[in-house]
Amino acid sequence: MHESILAFRKRRYLWLALLVSVVSIAAYWIDDPQEPANGGTVLGYALGTAGALLIVWLAWFGVRKRRYASTMGTVQGWLSAHVYLGLALVLVVLLHTGFQFGYNVHTAAFALMMLVVVSGLFGVYVYLKYPQRLSENRGGVNRSELIDQIEDVDTRSRRIARQLPAEFQELVSSGISRLQFGNSMWARLRARDLSQVLLKRGNDYAVVANPGQEAALDWLADQQSRCRDPAVAALIGELSGLLRNKRRLLKPLIEDFRMQAMLEIWLFVHVPLTAGLLVALLSHILAVFVYW
Amino acid sequence: MKFLIRFVTRNAAGGTDHRDRIIEAPIITIGRATDQMLHLQDKRARLQHAQLEDRNGKVHITTSALAGVDVNGRSQRDARLVSGDVVEVGANILRVIDAPPGADFALTFELNPEFAREELATEWNAVGTGTIGKRKLSWILVAVVLLLTLVGPGVSMLSPDISSMARHSDFLPDDSWWLAGPLHSAHSSISGDCRSCHVNAFERVPDAACTECHKVSRHVSGDVNTVLGERRCASCHLEHNEPPQLVKQHQGLCADCHQNLPGNVALENAGDFLRDHPAFKVSLLRPRPGPEGTSEWGVEHLLLSEARTADRSNLKFDHAAHLDRAGIITPDGRRVLECAECHQPQPGGARMRPISMNDHCAGCHSLNFDPDDPRRTVPHGDPEGVMQTLVEYYSARLLGDEPEAGEQRVRRPGRALTRADRDRAAAEARVKAMTVATDLFERRVCANCHEVTRTANRVLPWHVEPVKLTERFFPHANFTHAAHDTASNECDSCHGASTSESSSDVLIPAIETCRDCHGSAVASRNSAAQTPSTCIMCHSFHFEAKGIYP
Repeated sequence: MHESILAFRKRRYLWLALLVSVVSIAAYWIDDPQEPANGGTVLGYALGTAGALLIVWLAWFGVRKRRYASTMGTVQGWLSAHVYLGLALVLVVLLHTGFQFGYNVHTAAFALMMLVVVSGLFGVYVYLKYPQRLSENRGGVNRSELIDQIEDVDTRSRRIARQLPAEFQELVSSGISRLQFGNSMWARLRARDLSQVLLKRGNDYAVVANPGQEAALDWLADQQSRCRDPAVAALIGELSGLLRNKRRLLKPLIEDFRMQAMLEIWLFVHVPLTAGLLVALLSHILAVFVYW
Repeated sequence: MKFLIRFVTRNAAGGTDHRDRIIEAPIITIGRATDQMLHLQDKRARLQHAQLEDRNGKVHITTSALAGVDVNGRSQRDARLVSGDVVEVGANILRVIDAPPGADFALTFELNPEFAREELATEWNAVGTGTIGKRKLSWILVAVVLLLTLVGPGVSMLSPDISSMARHSDFLPDDSWWLAGPLHSAHSSISGDCRSCHVNAFERVPDAACTECHKVSRHVSGDVNTVLGERRCASCHLEHNEPPQLVKQHQGLCADCHQNLPGNVALENAGDFLRDHPAFKVSLLRPRPGPEGTSEWGVEHLLLSEARTADRSNLKFDHAAHLDRAGIITPDGRRVLECAECHQPQPGGARMRPISMNDHCAGCHSLNFDPDDPRRTVPHGDPEGVMQTLVEYYSARLLGDEPEAGEQRVRRPGRALTRADRDRAAAEARVKAMTVATDLFERRVCANCHEVTRTANRVLPWHVEPVKLTERFFPHANFTHAAHDTASNECDSCHGASTSESSSDVLIPAIETCRDCHGSAVASRNSAAQTPSTCIMCHSFHFEAKGIYP
């Protein structure tokens, strides 16, 4: 049975994170430093040390998940702890700051940490929501099956095109080879059909945009209306049917790429910011003790 | 309905073989899943791809697949099948044939040899599965953060020139980015030179960095912390905090030691203003005889509660009479005196300016001595001068040098003064002066305010006790009137002067009056009207008490 990372082992890491939070708040509440609360009191140092260790451990998740041979807990357990303790970290560090902020490397490190946490929360959201949406979008098949179905349509289209004049074969083969949604993460998120197709107009061929196979279908409809031979017209009609079919299959595929990108894009924020945060954390600690 | 399914396979010789299967069911399921009646071994087919349905003897093929199912080259979701129809699912071809005897519906099932993967030209990797690297982005961010937060400020720490250049530029990172909080304005004189205090990297600020500019006395002597043991200046004095404050505003700062002092310390314990503070003691000036009949002033520390009438300033003064709500007689007529006419704050408003005869009394208390000549006055504070003034005045009058004074002339009209005239006039003047002086010193003027005693001195047989008003009753407390909103608070609310008839009254409020507004350092112990009050609100740590005489 599938178990959400949030519900992992009866939410044991939620309880751990709550324990960390409650202990931190209680300590902050009870502590009566002789100065305004800040990172330099005894409790400030304690919370800061805890926060720094937490950050390093949370970042270590990136290493642990690649150690397939590791038997130190399951990756699922690590992720569950990563999420919950990552949230507890915000509280621990906030109390460490004593709510003193300014324009300096210390607050910069805090801001970086918050961005990492917020991007991570977005990651949790998409990981929990998108697998089901992905599956619903594709109507229960997986992506390669969807692609196979499109390739099926392509094969049939080629077969029919071989019985028609050359421009039909160009239409079909260029429509297949010039299928394009864009390669960048950004293009995938925008989910636009950038396909092109080679059409014969008069005596020349022209490459025209073919989103949703629209241009190809319009061209086929035009050809069909001019066609005198009913057998040829029937073949053109069949070809149109196949392309409409392809259009129907491309729509969920593009959406599939978009959602796949959503599942990955946050990591392009989360991971590099984590790297930046580790450096900022080092700067923060050095700056504090250089000018102790 | 009985379905006949004929599986056609091609043999090595190029011909075909077949085997038949008869299935009796209303529905034939077709798909890739192993529980399907017609199992398609082709991943292009869905797990449950399509089904054949018997609808009143007519067979339909239906599917929920998006692409439909290919019937005679046309994609359909629901199609009636008749003999000769061809259904394609991926590489699988189903042909409907005439049903042989013993079956209601028949089809052949074979694989299409035309389907070769080479024909499938779409390059899916080029269609939208590419990515850029997270690793590269990470390294870029590592470099940027390293430069801005560590290398930049670190480099500008190396030399004051680089630091100054970086700080004056709008975009270069400088070591001020490492500041954990603002520098207190009191330290602006170090011009942002971190090394002034942070002498060595990774070492705490040494006391020597503080004592380079600051002199400390009490509790600390020279390089040795006499009382404080291991504590450093920075144990109590903090920089870079918000709100900026140079001294910890915490009760423990003093109370940690003072609430439980060792037995050999002469001080009383003090832990909390509301609950654990010694009774107020006032420092009162005390006149005492000095050498050769002079007076000196000493200081006596008395419990305020036992010193309510112990003020010995040698001044006779009745606050109640002066503050009479019906008014008092002044040269400008009858009017009501206000406290502030005599008690005026010093610049800064902490304490009151000293009271002086000239500024505060002489307006009403004139030192004239002769009703016939009311503008003539004797000097204040100089008994010999008084006598001299009187003798000179009356001599002149008797000798006629005093044009305004009337008839008591020694000189007869038309005759020059003889020596005998002068001697007689001098003797007469001395007698007159002594009579007036006796009146002034003992009854009318001096004795109004001063303690005057007779002495054996024949020339000046009076001693006026010197007056000295206590200006600071609590020399160990930093009380300031300015912080107590004296504009809207009545003086009387603390001092109660309007009912004091004697200058021996010590008009200093008791601790209870302070506690109306000042409470414990622990806010939860206080009433709504009480403000949390720590030791250093009133007391100084390093500085000796101010205003102790002499």
